[in-house]
Amino acid sequence: MSFGIKRGVRFNILSESDLERIHWATLHVLEKVGVQVDSPTCRKLLKDNGCEVDEKTRIAKIPSHLVEEALAKKKTSITLAARNPKYDAKLDLNHSYMTANGNGAVTVDFETGKRRPSTKQDVANSSRIIDALNNIHIHWPMVSSTDQHPSVVHLHDFDASINNTEKHVMYETGVTLSDAKTLTEMGYAAAGGEKEYRRRPISSCLQCTYAPLQHDAGVMDASLYFAKAGVPLVFFGMPQPGATGPATLVGSLVVGNAEVLSALTMTQLSSPGAAVIYGMGNAPLDMRTTIRAGGSPEHAISSAIATELAHYYDMPSCVGVSATAKEPGDQAVLEYYTGCVGPMLAGADLMCGVGLLEDSSCLFYEQIVIDDEIVGAIGRLMRGEWVNDDTLALDAIEKVGPGKNFLTQRHTVDHMRTEFFMPNLIDRRSFDAWSQAGSKSLRDKAREKVKDILANHKVTPLESQVQKKLDDIIEKAKKPMWGGESKTH
Amino acid sequence: MEDAVARLRNAVMNYEMETIADLAKQALKDGVDPLVAIEKGLAEGIKTVGERFGRGEIFLPELVMGAEAMKAALAVLEPAVPKGKHRSSAGKVIIGTVQDDIHEIGKNLVSTMLSSNGFEVVDLGVNVPSADFLKKSDELKPQIVAMSALMTTTMPRMAEVIAPLKKKNKAIKVIVGGAPVTDTYAKEIGADGYSGDASSAVDQAKKLVR
Repeated sequence: MSFGIKRGVRFNILSESDLERIHWATLHVLEKVGVQVDSPTCRKLLKDNGCEVDEKTRIAKIPSHLVEEALAKKKTSITLAARNPKYDAKLDLNHSYMTANGNGAVTVDFETGKRRPSTKQDVANSSRIIDALNNIHIHWPMVSSTDQHPSVVHLHDFDASINNTEKHVMYETGVTLSDAKTLTEMGYAAAGGEKEYRRRPISSCLQCTYAPLQHDAGVMDASLYFAKAGVPLVFFGMPQPGATGPATLVGSLVVGNAEVLSALTMTQLSSPGAAVIYGMGNAPLDMRTTIRAGGSPEHAISSAIATELAHYYDMPSCVGVSATAKEPGDQAVLEYYTGCVGPMLAGADLMCGVGLLEDSSCLFYEQIVIDDEIVGAIGRLMRGEWVNDDTLALDAIEKVGPGKNFLTQRHTVDHMRTEFFMPNLIDRRSFDAWSQAGSKSLRDKAREKVKDILANHKVTPLESQVQKKLDDIIEKAKKPMWGGESKTH
Repeated sequence: MEDAVARLRNAVMNYEMETIADLAKQALKDGVDPLVAIEKGLAEGIKTVGERFGRGEIFLPELVMGAEAMKAALAVLEPAVPKGKHRSSAGKVIIGTVQDDIHEIGKNLVSTMLSSNGFEVVDLGVNVPSADFLKKSDELKPQIVAMSALMTTTMPRMAEVIAPLKKKNKAIKVIVGGAPVTDTYAKEIGADGYSGDASSAVDQAKKLVR
């Protein structure tokens, strides 16, 4: 079976003319309102290419033709390669892939159940869990190694990830030029050199734009570096409808779209043909609690619409999924199911991501395996190739006739392993059998599965000299913080 | 002879329900003791299949096909067993869906699970008249009578069988099942066991023949 979820079913939300209107509205915003570009390098790049740039307000107005040219230059199909080629994620607009969620700062300890700051061990453990699961295809460092020296936390995150999963690693921590350089160097080292990395990029970077309509200097300088270095990029717009975007979902998407397209324009001006994925997480601000509503149906439908926009531009999409639940279980399942089913059915190429709670900030190991089950079930909804001679099963129906059953038909045996979603955690036994086996909840079973993975799942580590290289890069990158001495942990 | 028995065992384990009857005929022709062929061949084979199913390694259709293969071979071998000799088994069960009810699949699954756990199962089919349950238990002397009903309207047929059955033979055990049947209802009508699914039916049966 191929890696990823092959799409056979796709729901359409917006018409071609709806998408065109969003596109024209976005071009209007870029040309008339402009975006704030904090990086002097990027402002110069835009000015040199005919944009109207105000150095005082740092606002650049981008003419439509530049955006259209960038869209013509970008890559349409991108492969996010993995240490193990069987995990290569081919973003070919025909497959969907799920990523882990990333960079929470808090972990609920698997043994004690206590909330505490996340550690490098948590990054390593969650990486191994992601490696073991079938329905999560791309890894992110799920939490931050807050027990490491503050200047190199994100490098330890990458180190613990790439050593503990053979899947592609996407990070979101390349937010300054120097971070970009070090993370690229680590990627090259892990891949076995720059040449090999450029051929098969085993890592990538997701960059957030700042709503409304701003580009951080560090993020954009880093992005131009990544593009040149062959590191695939996601530009991820995160307007919050009602707060940093208009309250209407589509209006907010226009803001996010303007951010993503302007970032794409700068990248393509600097590195024509660079691999850029279209990202969007348009989750509203909850008007009662002031929390970002990551698990809302509005986030889900926005991710679905953003996918349609991305595909309108012939770009793969990477859209947001998350949950505001505080513990694994009912609410988390409801939020993640809603969040995943919308964009998946709209044909999202990448969804980021599963496994964290409190809107992408708190790690419960159990939730990762629960979400894996959710994605597996939704994946079944998306399968295609429904009607052919074999699936119509006329031969079997004729053979069995009225009154008997299909259990002993070869046709049944030929299809039973592929036709049905086989749950890992969902319990379908009778009440008797279930209660005799201890009346275990979904969460209990998730816990057992985590235990089993942590005890038994082996990941081929990087070669020792590669590991040594990564250690050296981290050591070299360590800087004194807040003017003080660099402290070793 | 060892080979012929092993071939039968493997044929059950490989679900060769279409061809196993020929193997059984050949075994008899080669002078294999039919009791040995059943006990060391078929029964061992289905036991392995049942264990694999229990461990989740194979799926239900495979278990059923294994049982079908065993049934096909038994049809050849059993008539050849000399009068007065009996195959050893975990116990003899007669099973059927009650009168006016033609729901079959649940009863078949229980039947399959029982045979894959070493029980000798005589399946009376569906829409079995209450009188037939009585007549057959007289004739075959099973330790257990198992009845299935899928509708609230047909459930009372089980009670109709149990009362005269128990009157005639106190020792005989009755297990009942089917979607509307509950533990409470089973007790009410004097059944000895109830189960909500095919696997627990085996546990019930094992308990009752102990």
